[in-house]
Amino acid sequence: MSENARNRLLLALSIVMAAIYLFPLYWMYVTALKSGSEMFATPPSFWPSSAQWSTFAYVWESRNMGRYLWNSTVIAFGAVALIAMLGTGCAYVLARYRNIWVDIGLFLILMFQVLPASLMITPIFVGFSQLGLLEYPRLAVILAITAKSMPFFVVLVRATFMAVPMELEEAALVDGNSRIGAFLNIVLPLARNGILVSAILIFMQAFGEFVYSKSMIQDIQLQPASVGLNSFMGPNTSEWNNIMAYATMYVTPILAIFVLLQRRIVSGLTSGALK
Amino acid sequence: MGIRRTMISIALALASASFAGMGARAEDVKLVLWSLDRDIQPAPNLIKEFNAQKNGIQIEYRQLQFDDVVSEAMRAFSTGKAPDIITIDNPNHAMFASRKAFLDLTDMIRQSKVIKPENYFPGPLKSVTWDEKYYGVPKATNTIALYYNKDLFKAAGLDPEKPPQTWTELVTTAKKLTNPSKNIYGLTFSAKANEEGTFQFLPWAQMGGATYKTINSEGAVKALTVWKQMLDEKLASPDTLTRSQWDATATFNAGNAAMAISGPWEIDRMLKDAKFQWGTALLPVPSEGAQRSSAMGDFNWAIFSSTKHPKEAFKALEFFASKDVTMYKDFGQLPARSDLPVPPTGNPQKDSALATFVEQLKYAQPRGPSPEWPKISKAIQDAIQAALTGQMEPKAALDQADAKIKSIGG
Amino acid sequence: MKRVFSSITDGRGFDLVLVGVPFTFLLALSGLPLLYNILMSFQEVDMFSLGSVIRPFVGFRNYLDLFTQPETVSILKNTIVFVVGSITGQFLVGFALALFFWINFPGASWLRGLFLVSWVMPGLVVGAIWNWILSGDFGVLNFLLQQTGLMSSNIFWRSDPNFSLWAVILANIWLGTSFNMILLATGLSAIPADLYEAAEMDGANAWQRFWTITLPMMRSTIGAIIALGLIFTLQQFDLFAAITDGGPNNSSNVAQYWAWDLSFRQYDFGKGATISVIMTVFVMFAATVYVRSTRHEVRG
Repeated sequence: MSENARNRLLLALSIVMAAIYLFPLYWMYVTALKSGSEMFATPPSFWPSSAQWSTFAYVWESRNMGRYLWNSTVIAFGAVALIAMLGTGCAYVLARYRNIWVDIGLFLILMFQVLPASLMITPIFVGFSQLGLLEYPRLAVILAITAKSMPFFVVLVRATFMAVPMELEEAALVDGNSRIGAFLNIVLPLARNGILVSAILIFMQAFGEFVYSKSMIQDIQLQPASVGLNSFMGPNTSEWNNIMAYATMYVTPILAIFVLLQRRIVSGLTSGALK
Repeated sequence: MGIRRTMISIALALASASFAGMGARAEDVKLVLWSLDRDIQPAPNLIKEFNAQKNGIQIEYRQLQFDDVVSEAMRAFSTGKAPDIITIDNPNHAMFASRKAFLDLTDMIRQSKVIKPENYFPGPLKSVTWDEKYYGVPKATNTIALYYNKDLFKAAGLDPEKPPQTWTELVTTAKKLTNPSKNIYGLTFSAKANEEGTFQFLPWAQMGGATYKTINSEGAVKALTVWKQMLDEKLASPDTLTRSQWDATATFNAGNAAMAISGPWEIDRMLKDAKFQWGTALLPVPSEGAQRSSAMGDFNWAIFSSTKHPKEAFKALEFFASKDVTMYKDFGQLPARSDLPVPPTGNPQKDSALATFVEQLKYAQPRGPSPEWPKISKAIQDAIQAALTGQMEPKAALDQADAKIKSIGG
Repeated sequence: MKRVFSSITDGRGFDLVLVGVPFTFLLALSGLPLLYNILMSFQEVDMFSLGSVIRPFVGFRNYLDLFTQPETVSILKNTIVFVVGSITGQFLVGFALALFFWINFPGASWLRGLFLVSWVMPGLVVGAIWNWILSGDFGVLNFLLQQTGLMSSNIFWRSDPNFSLWAVILANIWLGTSFNMILLATGLSAIPADLYEAAEMDGANAWQRFWTITLPMMRSTIGAIIALGLIFTLQQFDLFAAITDGGPNNSSNVAQYWAWDLSFRQYDFGKGATISVIMTVFVMFAATVYVRSTRHEVRG
């Protein structure tokens, strides 16, 4: 088989697989474009008979999506910045040594993540309310997300640091760098890609965070888009086309960035800096 | 800390007293109200009207989701951050009232010119009552009845003006209407494993002479047996077990079920979506002449006992109650009032449906009231689901539920 | 003072600060809530005592009560099936995709990006969409299976006790594949190409290369993925809420959903906490697997 035919076959195969995998996404898009009665038709229609593009403008306006998305962005950036600041150094140290304390540290890091947010929210809420943190709800949510997602970040970034050769750091120390100097000038730049990419993964999770925001942010002006989505997804809803239009506008920009960046993501996680 | 707090509150009290003394218009009293009403439902709109009066009280609104009302309220109450006013689902009312988390409104109601207990339906009133005191005011009420598709009745050779009256008739009618080749089930309802399942089943048990305290009595077993027959013979979709009432009725509107058991909240959507003639009937009874019963749904207003402004909060409730007159017209919900006739809407189909529901409301009974209602309800749901999936016989399932309810002490 | 400062910039103190600050943070924000849950499992808790720590002590009563309930064993069994089923599915599909896209063909990396969709979609929407796909009478899945002739009558994915748990597992595999795939893809691209060249020269076929090079080199990645996957799976909540509600008759109920149901639907916070303590035992297992897997790491 020629190179060309092989490529075409693989491409076709991957497109078929992608089509199957992406069906839920496709269904979201199609539903957003359907009219009210078409949504519930049996058998289901796989293509909207007349696409209702106006739904998007309507939902954007009536739901005040600009504000919601802005709040989501603020929260996600805050959480990512805090996680990167706290988690990077932690991952570095956990990658640098190999002893019982590191084992215990890694063990604890995972144990901290055990409970789902729906069970963590009560103690966190009680604690925050006693500290007065609930007066700054977005900050409170950022702190809670940081605690929840940092272990994930540490595990990923630690793997990145593992790929940075120890000799480089040792050479820098011999050259008269202090530990902090060697870390900032040599190790960190080499792990930059991996950190960036892990941060992006965390960002996307934080962008969709829901349980903490719902309980801690009571002022509608400060709520993120996930809470906005939930507030019109009640049990007795029939505006599925509007909901899916909302979800489409919520997800698509992030998805586009993700698809464009993912090549870097994959090479970034292995910290391809030296290759 | 205690001293500091006292000092601050004294200072604040002095400051506000001196403001009032100076004759200047005091700061507005700020109340916080939580409810699950959306923009087209009463709470946010009534608040807007109330605030527009500028009577020195301003209400701030927060919308919650159905599943979150109680947990958010509890969390807030136990950390001293409860709102002043909340709307609460009627079976959950006793849980708060019995622990004095809600304010006892008995005295204020006695003096009120707007809120008079005798004007309310007995069921809703019972749900706000604990220990013979009033801990809230019914906000609205609803119940369930039978919807049926007249076109499908005709097609099956049934008289569209003679909906089934008894359980036996319901089953035989459903059999005639079920048509798998056309994707039509005879009946749709909800036996979901949440409060909705209990809400739908309890009236059946009550018509059979049971109460939640005697949930394994003969009538309740018979009710569950009929439900089981509906599912076993595929007269209702197997998804009845996991579908909410709203989603279940959607299949009726789409013509995929010939009858539906649901509430008045469906009317507006049905008028829009259902492309056929439909009618309503009272819930079928076990046998001709048997006692009727129905579920009682919807929310109550309540004031948290932690409020700093009980008088102002009650004033707000009085305002809301004064708007009961136009509640149906404005928001499509039925006020819990026996003194207010539901005004004709001009749509005969809608009016006749409303008449059915108002009639059915007379037999509506609250769930509980019991502070342990959520656990009792869970025991009933478990029994329904165990029987309908065929994992237990109806009698055994209800025996188990009964034992559980007795151990809870409800 | 100066010694302390220089230790922080250039000695042991540097490591201690880097690790100490985040661990203090995590202890406060994750460790304490965890302890609060453990404490609650030994107490009688109601809505009024949520805010305080001192509550009536009941010893092991919550645990004993829980294990006398008929549904407990089956729910714990469901949890194991859910976790094992989801992780196996996610891992196999994710690994297969990662290997497939590892072959270099035009468009490969771009198309691979599309498989990351499930990482980005909000849980609420994913739940709602799968709810429709799996619905019995007019679900898209049943429609497609019938159209293609694979099946003659509808399967009630959500409401048949034999299928309900698997319906959620199916949706969860979909959800977790992307995360498995991207991390495995990363692991693959970290394997030095010269290893394969050398093996090829020694005459090893593709299958042998996979077993002797790929898998051993991926050990630490796989350990991390399985540990993280277990945690994500144990935290999965939206899908249960949207698709089956744990029903019918608890046939698709799992520990995390049950804990929520007990705490926030029946307001039995003590029992809810008890289940979450049982869940920590599951995760201890995962954490051990992870820590052990890191022993095989090769330092770059």
